[in-house]
Amino acid sequence: MRHYKIELDNLNITKSQIEKAMGFESGNSPDPFPDLIDEVLDIANTYCSIEGGYVLRDDINFDLNNHKLLVGIIDFYAKKIVINQIKKSEKIALFLCTAGPEIGEWSKKLMSEGETFKGYIIDVAGSEIVESAMDRIQNTLEEEMNDRGLNITNRYSPGYCGWNVSEQQKLFTFFPDDFCGVKLSDTSLMYPIKSVSGIIGIGKEVKRKNYPCKLCDDKNCIYRGRRFTG
Amino acid sequence: MEGLLEKIAYCVEFGKINKNAPYPPDMKDQDGADELTKQAIDQGINADEILKKGLVTGMEKVGIKFRENKVFVPQVLMSAKAMSTAMEHLKPFFQSGDVKRKGTFIIGTVAGDLHDIGKNLVAMMIEGNGWEVIDLGTDVKSEKFIETLRSYTGSYIGLSALLTTTMVNMEKIVKDIKSEKPDIKILIGGAPVNEEFREKIGADFYSPDPQGAVEYLNKLIA
Repeated sequence: MRHYKIELDNLNITKSQIEKAMGFESGNSPDPFPDLIDEVLDIANTYCSIEGGYVLRDDINFDLNNHKLLVGIIDFYAKKIVINQIKKSEKIALFLCTAGPEIGEWSKKLMSEGETFKGYIIDVAGSEIVESAMDRIQNTLEEEMNDRGLNITNRYSPGYCGWNVSEQQKLFTFFPDDFCGVKLSDTSLMYPIKSVSGIIGIGKEVKRKNYPCKLCDDKNCIYRGRRFTG
Repeated sequence: MEGLLEKIAYCVEFGKINKNAPYPPDMKDQDGADELTKQAIDQGINADEILKKGLVTGMEKVGIKFRENKVFVPQVLMSAKAMSTAMEHLKPFFQSGDVKRKGTFIIGTVAGDLHDIGKNLVAMMIEGNGWEVIDLGTDVKSEKFIETLRSYTGSYIGLSALLTTTMVNMEKIVKDIKSEKPDIKILIGGAPVNEEFREKIGADFYSPDPQGAVEYLNKLIA
């Protein structure tokens, strides 16, 4: 198992990244958003406790007819899109990463006090922070695997690409209790809310793609259009 | 009179909250929705006119631009803030009955789901269109919707969900509400929800955007 603590300053979150995540073109968000984004990014590090990690497993099998991945004795019904991308894997990394509870609570507090658009910017920043932190962990994993002559896939999470979010319950059985301080509700919501989890395939015959969204038709997905390699 | 109401609508559309708000920059140091609404009242303009021709008109324009991807969530939030600031001046007229709301809309994110930005957007757009909105928050169970319905007879219900797991709870909530009040109209929305799902669970309307919900509600009372 690998466990990382990450400082926000090392993630180089940019204004342009937040603007794009809010729907604007980079450098083209109207006032007052550029100033508000700067304000949020200036103090965001006091509201972040970023950590993440992964478990590597090579006791895996695939049931391609039923779009299933078996890790140890746990069956994941990961659906066709995900299974097709990872089916040539020799190992699987099961990952978890969080920006910590503070940033989500900061956003909620401001929203409840009527500062809705600043609260929204913080919410967006929290999502970008946790995704960037996980990008960093994934890049480290990729370098390590490349050194062993292996490639990695994109990361896939329950709740996306048709994979039911309830399968998160199975995923969490691979982590020690309270790993990174993340807890799962009965309805498979992670707390802190700014957390991500999922799997990454590893093997000689797998690839990490720039735009895997072409494979999926979920037009409302929050990841649609995002660039996926570091 | 028309000029003032048009200005209020413009301030709401572009999120000019009050004179102190430096945004949008081309309206710096100009009166915002706050001051203009007060001026309109002081000039004796009917509060109902201010609501309909000022605030509602402005919010409708934002709702349409949002649907057409011409503005994004943060701009809608700014417009909603301008609208709610102006609405404070109209509160006494609602309380006295001089201005009537179009009806009451009860909204909540379904049990098990804590996401609220989408739900808040819908609530703001509907409120800005002249409806009273009772926001039950997140993680709302059937019992809470039914209990609230008893206090607000003749109202309409909106259910929101962001997750595939919690959209399943919508089905139970719709069934529970309909078994208590078969004629109640229930609107649903959220990223994983679609028209096919609406039909399956017996809800009355699905909209992929807040303005769709506004238009549906307005049709119901037309």
